Amino acid sequence: MTTESDARDELIDLAADFYDQFAAGRIPELELPTRTKSNIEYDTESGVWTYGDRTSVRSANSVNGARKLLKAAFTIEFLADQLDDDRSSTLRELYYLSESWDNDEAQFNSQDESNDLVEDLEIVTGVTREDFHMRPEESGAKVMGPLRIREQTNRGDRDIHCQLDVGQGGYQIPNNPDTIEFLENDAEFVLCVETGGMRDRLVENGFDEEHDALVVHLGGQPARATRRLTKRFRDELDLPVVVFTDGDPWSYRIYGSVAYGSIKSAHLSKYLATPEARFIGIQPADIVEYDLPSDPLSDSDVNALESELEDPRFQTDYWEEQIELQLDIGKKSEQQSLASRGLDFVTDTYLPERLDEMGVL
Amino acid sequence: MTSFQSSLGEDEGIAEELAESQREISIAEFFEKNKHMLGFDSGARGLVTAVKEAVDNALDATEEAGILPDIYVEITEVGDYYRLVIEDNGPGITKEQLPKVFGKLLYGSRFHARVQSRGQQGIGISAAVLYSQLTSGQPARITSRPKGQSDAQYFELIIDTDTNEPEISVDETTTWDRPHGTRIELEMEANMRARSQLHDYVKHTAVVNPHARIELREPGLEGPMKFERATDELPAETTEIRPHPHGVELGALIKMLEATESYSISGFLQEEFTRVGKKTADNVIDEFRDVYYGRELSWSPPRAHDDRDVADAVADAVANKGATATAAFSEGIAETVAGGDRLSRSELASIVDDVAETVAGDTGKTFGRTVRGNAVDAAWRAITGVGGDGDGTGETGDDEDSAGSDPGEPPLVPDVYALVDDATSTRKDDAVVRAMAEALARRFEDLDGDAFRITRDDLERLVADAASFVAEQHDATFGETARGNVVDAVWSRARTVPDDPPKVRDVAGDRDTAADLLEAMRATDILAPPTDCLAPITAELVEAGLRKEYDADFYAAATRDAEVHGGDPFIVEAGIAYGGAIPAEGSVELLRFANRVPLVYQRGACATTDVIKSIGWRNYGLDQPGGSGMPNGPAVISIHVASTNVPFTSESKDALANVPAIEDEIELAVREAARELKSYLNKRRSMQQRREKQDVLGKILPEMADKVSEVTGRPRPDIDGALARIMNNVSVERERDDGTVRLVVENHSDVNETLEITDIVSAEPTDLSDGTVVDMDGEWFVQWKPEVPSGDERELTYTVADDAEFEVSVGGVETEKLTVNA
Repeated sequence: MTTESDARDELIDLAADFYDQFAAGRIPELELPTRTKSNIEYDTESGVWTYGDRTSVRSANSVNGARKLLKAAFTIEFLADQLDDDRSSTLRELYYLSESWDNDEAQFNSQDESNDLVEDLEIVTGVTREDFHMRPEESGAKVMGPLRIREQTNRGDRDIHCQLDVGQGGYQIPNNPDTIEFLENDAEFVLCVETGGMRDRLVENGFDEEHDALVVHLGGQPARATRRLTKRFRDELDLPVVVFTDGDPWSYRIYGSVAYGSIKSAHLSKYLATPEARFIGIQPADIVEYDLPSDPLSDSDVNALESELEDPRFQTDYWEEQIELQLDIGKKSEQQSLASRGLDFVTDTYLPERLDEMGVL
Repeated sequence: MTSFQSSLGEDEGIAEELAESQREISIAEFFEKNKHMLGFDSGARGLVTAVKEAVDNALDATEEAGILPDIYVEITEVGDYYRLVIEDNGPGITKEQLPKVFGKLLYGSRFHARVQSRGQQGIGISAAVLYSQLTSGQPARITSRPKGQSDAQYFELIIDTDTNEPEISVDETTTWDRPHGTRIELEMEANMRARSQLHDYVKHTAVVNPHARIELREPGLEGPMKFERATDELPAETTEIRPHPHGVELGALIKMLEATESYSISGFLQEEFTRVGKKTADNVIDEFRDVYYGRELSWSPPRAHDDRDVADAVADAVANKGATATAAFSEGIAETVAGGDRLSRSELASIVDDVAETVAGDTGKTFGRTVRGNAVDAAWRAITGVGGDGDGTGETGDDEDSAGSDPGEPPLVPDVYALVDDATSTRKDDAVVRAMAEALARRFEDLDGDAFRITRDDLERLVADAASFVAEQHDATFGETARGNVVDAVWSRARTVPDDPPKVRDVAGDRDTAADLLEAMRATDILAPPTDCLAPITAELVEAGLRKEYDADFYAAATRDAEVHGGDPFIVEAGIAYGGAIPAEGSVELLRFANRVPLVYQRGACATTDVIKSIGWRNYGLDQPGGSGMPNGPAVISIHVASTNVPFTSESKDALANVPAIEDEIELAVREAARELKSYLNKRRSMQQRREKQDVLGKILPEMADKVSEVTGRPRPDIDGALARIMNNVSVERERDDGTVRLVVENHSDVNETLEITDIVSAEPTDLSDGTVVDMDGEWFVQWKPEVPSGDERELTYTVADDAEFEVSVGGVETEKLTVNA
């Protein structure tokens, strides 16, 4: 990991590259990996998906390219100053802050644009956005389980036990989970849960206590902090990780981003992805086996499933079998459809059975 | 043709019509009835037409005399009437010519002369004279001063409307300040409601006649409208050509036949038409014979196994010539016949004549006409197997001396069968082919005379008849294609008859025969007419004309090569002016010209309009709502059609008729000019984009450079090189090192560039590596013209005092593409 001054130096180096290009009479440009599905490759060494060799060039050759690079120069200055002052800001704040710049051309037109630019800078400098002191808007999700940690906060270090010292809501994951130190743990495995409703059900039923599980709430597409912490659980505490989502194509992508890395942040896959994470359910096979209440697949579901069959991250026998089965039965089910068998069914029967099958319990 | 200012009657159609009407009614009455046709249907239009006729006449007269036209048009109000004055600087006009030119409405019926002239366009100045006389009661006042004459002559002329005879009522000497020329003054009932058409007419005349100077004064104008000359080049002189055989109508042909001094058709064709020599005339006459007489069917001579023997038959038919001569004669004929392929009766007759001559030479026996005739009859019977009793018709097959060994095989059938079999597809049932052959052979036998003469039309009828007979009898179809093939097969093996064609006077006296001749003329391949009878304006002057009258940003013009439409050569030219002061709102302005005369009325009915509407103008960079119809935008499109006979939609000659050959050429000419417009607009657009890009990047990049220098804490970098490269530009940069100056040219564009660089130096430069120095009163002009290939650079160095000042100017490259930092 980089230190703050390293991060600052990397940014200044990038500005210096632009400077040198100008001085040499060349057209300033920025070379980036192409960020599309077709340009991600499996890295056998780390077991995650990262960007391939194809690159795109942002060049000042065109009006649009020049605007992007101008914005990059302004953003570099802003980030360097922020690091100097040891302040931090959110991505959204960056977007609004650009309004104050004295140059109309440098202002962002949308937050997507500023988010993308920050990601570009991460890729080119090899520094994560957290080290630029940029925070995402959404807060990290929550953890509940038998684990004691120490978190560095503005108000000093705090020791927290994620079952005993927290309320029903659990421990709130900070934006930069690398500020957390693991002290003690009795956990057997990590269970990442997609929906808040299911997390609350598991906590209410005491699943974390009964099975010594670290229940991590993903809350839809997981934030980087959540993914980073999950990876640290796996790497540092040597815990098996399973992912529990709805049984539909969008949820498989949530699993994909936990396990393999996302296309947008493939440059950080080695830092964020947990390739050992396994999918627990809801599997299409479960819909059949437990005869779960289901909805028919919509056209966009079918397209998404077909697109997943093409996705390099899902090119495994397991996923091909499951996705084809789902296309075959034409149904999808939510996690909470398990309630059709009673509120305790998920904690007493479904999860123990699946964990047993997977050799986790 | 020298100074006849009227060319009425170029078009025979209208001349004939007028002549016919004239016999029955007075000229005034005729005029009254036909004034819409003559362009005088309203006071407003009458004035425009009168100006048009007079100006066209004036232009023709001056050009024919080789004088650059200088034309003055004045319209004034005189009480209830308008007075029209037209002056030209032409050769003037003599008293003898005067009535012919200005008076007689039907003068000049040179119906077969073909030359491109303005006079074709209208009815002539005489109609204007008559119109003025009928509406105001005033005579036409004409002043003329022939070149070199010290005085001018003043005439007043009226037309006797009962006799259509012009009368000169006043003839006196006067003075005139023009050294030569003609002045016409007409008073007429009129109004100025068609002012815009009048202005258009005069302006467009100026566009299309850039060699003319025209001035117009009329009551609605504050000052005179003046159109100056843009070239001193007169239009090329046109030669008159005789009509082309493909371009005459039946009526004209009959008149030509009546008028010619030739006795034979061949002579007539060669004398009266262009592109007809002896050989072409022979070809036409052969076609004419085929149409007029029909062809003779030809038949195979008897084969060895046939019973019919030509020698025996001839020998039998000859008496009292002695055995040797008879044998020589009959065998000679038989051998010649057997040695050849199929032959017709006429060919047989000529063989018999040849052999008779030879035998007479060898034996001293003369074979007279009767003997030869008998021999031909006998041999022909032997060949065809038809006509045993000599009348050549009907009952044949079972006749004793001509029937073959196979009495079941009727005569002619084997030949016809072979043709039909060849001509029809192999899938045809043989029985049907045979039935067809037999049916056809029977019908050939029934032809009048024994020579089997038949015209192609009759042949077609006969084949159709036989085919329907076969269809009925054998329940087999004998379709149109098969019938056509059979007709072609038979016709191609029939022989053109040797008969002399009818004489000219016989053809002239018989409409059907003349129609046959016309058909033959059209059917013969004849070289296209010569095109030196046309005087195109030329692309260069089309453009000059537009340039003169339209203040635009861009001009293009195209002249096509001459083409021919029915015997009349024509040339199409097109020009486009774009941008500048031309109004951008609404549809483009279309200028239409025929033989250098603007067409003002009936734009919607004109072929030129149809063509413009059919072109996809968006492709050429003009706005076109809906993708068809008149394009919009700041453009003027002009189209000129020059021809010895411009086809109009009607007698008023306001709109070109939709003739595909001409429309095609119009389209090609317009597209040719439009392609230039497109590349101009593309270039302009790309220059505009380049400017915009330059503007934006010129703002962004310095700011970016500032920002990176701020962040890195280094001085601001020089970004001109990067800018020039981005803009694909050519950069010129000065570097100065002690006393040495270096001018560096870098070409970042994708084409080679040649620059013209002038560096004005305040001290004397020395050691120039290239270029030249000129001392101009203490300033030194260093001139350098480097050619820099794409992606390359060139360098000029010289030595100069340290305190020298410079001022550089760079040419040869568009400013949008240039970055100068020197």
